[in-house]
Amino acid sequence: MKVLFYGRLAEAIGAELEVGASPGSSVAEVRDRVAADHPDVEGVLRSKRALSFVGDRLVRDDYRLAPGDTLEFLPPVSGG
Amino acid sequence: MSVIARLEPSALRPEQELAVLVERATGDGAVVSFTGIARARSERGKAVDRLILEHHPALTLQSLEEIAVEAAARFNVSHVHVVHRCGDIAAGEPIVFAGAASLHRRAAFEAADYLMDRLKTEAVFWKREVAEEGSEWIEPTDRDYSDRERWG
Repeated sequence: MKVLFYGRLAEAIGAELEVGASPGSSVAEVRDRVAADHPDVEGVLRSKRALSFVGDRLVRDDYRLAPGDTLEFLPPVSGG
Repeated sequence: MSVIARLEPSALRPEQELAVLVERATGDGAVVSFTGIARARSERGKAVDRLILEHHPALTLQSLEEIAVEAAARFNVSHVHVVHRCGDIAAGEPIVFAGAASLHRRAAFEAADYLMDRLKTEAVFWKREVAEEGSEWIEPTDRDYSDRERWG
């Protein structure tokens, strides 16, 4: 499962990460795995202003990922 | 009603954007514009050499477009014009242009004010201030959020 990161998440984790999650995993489950490996940015990943997207569409934590989906974790935006 | 929303990776020239907006405002009675400039000092008073505005390949422009369209509809102005820099911006350089044209001035003033309050809190950017001693991620201030809340 390909996961993309932006802003301070990309700085800490890298812009792209392959996460060993099986199809049907939820967004929350993938976040948990990333957070476990990167505790320094766990607070950013779990911020209430952080957003998750699949295919440029906002998804909720219970969204089930299909094969080929790319999940994007956006930290809280700074605005312009 | 028309809307221009653009992401600008190189130099932003506010005078050129304003000229385009005035040109389009045929029949209107008012054009109001705001130009934001990258400050040389942080909120805490530290010297800042430049800003780096990271953006998303699709969602950033989409956020600018949504904010511009909603401003045009809400204040019933004739034209909205938003151009936002991304990338590496030196202190002193323009970072954003937000303008509106309307039949009467009040709507254009309000639309420009609304545009900036939303851009400052909702535009999809991740901003870093870069100084000699390193860089620091910046998030909207409490004041930015309370300014945004004025519009509901």
